[in-house]
Amino acid sequence: MQPVPATKMTTAEVDAHLREHVGADAILEIRDEVGTHTVTIVPEKLVDLVTFLRDDRHLAFNFFDCSFGIDEGDAGFSQVVVLYSTTMQRRILLKTFATGGRDKPVLPSLAGVFEGANWMERETWDMYGIEFDGHPGLAPRILSVENFEGWPLRKDFFLASRAAKPWPGVKEPAETDEDGNVIEKEPRIGDAPGPMALDELMAVQARKANGIDDEATAEVEAAADAGAAADADANDAEAGDQEGDA
Amino acid sequence: MSDLETREVIHPGTAPGEDIAIEVRGDGDFATADMSLSIGPAHPATHGVLRIVLDMDGEKVIDARPVIGYMHRGFEKLAEYRDYRQIMALTNRHDWLSGFNNELGVALSVEQLMEFEVPERAQWIRMLMAEWGRILNHLMFVGSYAIELGAITPMFYAFREREDIQFLMESATGGRLHFTYNQVGGVKIDLPKGFMKRSVDLSTLIRSRMQDYFDLVLGNEIFHARTKGIGALDTATALRYGVTGPTLHATGCPEDSRVTEPYLKYGEIDVHVPVGENGDSYDRFSVLLHRIMASLDIIDQIHDHMPAGPVNSKLPKIVKAPEGHVYTRIENPLGQLGYFLQSDNGRTPWRFKMRTPSFSNVAIIPHLLRGTLVPDAVAVLGSVFFVVGDVDR
Repeated sequence: MQPVPATKMTTAEVDAHLREHVGADAILEIRDEVGTHTVTIVPEKLVDLVTFLRDDRHLAFNFFDCSFGIDEGDAGFSQVVVLYSTTMQRRILLKTFATGGRDKPVLPSLAGVFEGANWMERETWDMYGIEFDGHPGLAPRILSVENFEGWPLRKDFFLASRAAKPWPGVKEPAETDEDGNVIEKEPRIGDAPGPMALDELMAVQARKANGIDDEATAEVEAAADAGAAADADANDAEAGDQEGDA
Repeated sequence: MSDLETREVIHPGTAPGEDIAIEVRGDGDFATADMSLSIGPAHPATHGVLRIVLDMDGEKVIDARPVIGYMHRGFEKLAEYRDYRQIMALTNRHDWLSGFNNELGVALSVEQLMEFEVPERAQWIRMLMAEWGRILNHLMFVGSYAIELGAITPMFYAFREREDIQFLMESATGGRLHFTYNQVGGVKIDLPKGFMKRSVDLSTLIRSRMQDYFDLVLGNEIFHARTKGIGALDTATALRYGVTGPTLHATGCPEDSRVTEPYLKYGEIDVHVPVGENGDSYDRFSVLLHRIMASLDIIDQIHDHMPAGPVNSKLPKIVKAPEGHVYTRIENPLGQLGYFLQSDNGRTPWRFKMRTPSFSNVAIIPHLLRGTLVPDAVAVLGSVFFVVGDVDR
């Protein structure tokens, strides 16, 4: 008997096919927007589903694109696995939430299904601290230094350089009024300094180094400090903004 | 191994600075030594700071373990603290041989999430720059692969070509290596006067010079002896590892984003994707040379199609992508570059994953190196095209 030739399914047919295989309650959410088809499933069914996606004739997801973690805040950590089929020319994103909360996130490993998952999961572990059950060897850390402490891509891991010192350059492009003319702003210490501001600063430092500490020096220094304080406040507000957004 | 006894063990350890581990087995004429040799991270044959630990039996490689991360700069973390203009300047730097293609991917991912329509001329300009960037990248590997095999001269000729192309791109973008020419909604500024004519002339010039590479490098019998049958890869394994680009095409699979999921205006022109047969090092290099010719053909078609019009769009200075996520992929010279962008309607992305082609291409090195001899190991390593900045980000 002739086998039924595999035909390309529509996205809805793929969704139905998946529901049929793992059961509708294993699939938490399906989204298909801006050309990205995302299926959120429970972690217990991940390995089973990925194996099914690889082996099923109609789906034939033979290409392991990537897998990576996402910090979802209070919801813990999630992982997205991207698979592609070269024969059906279709892509799917599988999203799973790790079990174990933020303290000890755990997910099953896909290294036995696709070899490409091996290094991808090592990177996810390195960056988020998500343990992968069944992975041949997550350690040593693949990208960070071996003795690095902490999980860099977690949202509670702050970039040390930005905490210690605010962004030194001009942050925003020049503001323009209605006619398109650039609104001149007084350069402050912390902005890309204009030529006069930098000269003054260096002059102050030179005078102090030579022991000349008179009124003129104090004036310029006070202005510089005021500018720096105002700038630090603005930076805090901005950093607060950013943190608030994130 | 029962009648072979260990005669001598020198200090174990494979970390840099420690002595190599040598265990000599066997008696009589044919004693071989099991050895763990660390190539790199500072080594001329490894294309940057990549370290490969080879477990060898005599001259034969038993296992290979690439150690990456020497160039990890935390791009994905940095991207969460930067707005999209800054991310484009950042992503120039992971595959630095073709910086334009990386930042193009960022712009495309934001535009895809916003469902934003970019003006026609901007799309054709982007394609033109992307294809010149592709030739830049491939020429570098043409030169470097030849030099790794011992042929020193092709490197200088390849770089002569690269200088001409970089000069052309500098006239439009201001940069030779890191262009920062894309922005969300188009390109930064229109092409300068005379650019199209220079581009046409350059395309003719490079096409005329390419025949030398085909004759003198690809046709060289020493090159054949060193690369034919070395490091053979099959399509199914390559796909399971996530290998893309010339390395995958050499195995016979023509998977190329420009053809299967056309972005920009690739759907309106003919894109030829050269494929190989055996997936060995010779095929990978041959595919590379043919891809340069195919890119020149695409560039000539772009010259014919280039429309007039605006090159960027009216967007707020700080672009905020709407809430949601998108996965965009483009065909980088080294393979498939994917960007996953998850936005929470803020100035900076919530998550910005860069799926770089070199990461997956390096993951397959152990599979290719097992069972080869050490001189062939260099031939295999050079033929799997990767850039360490792309691997580590």
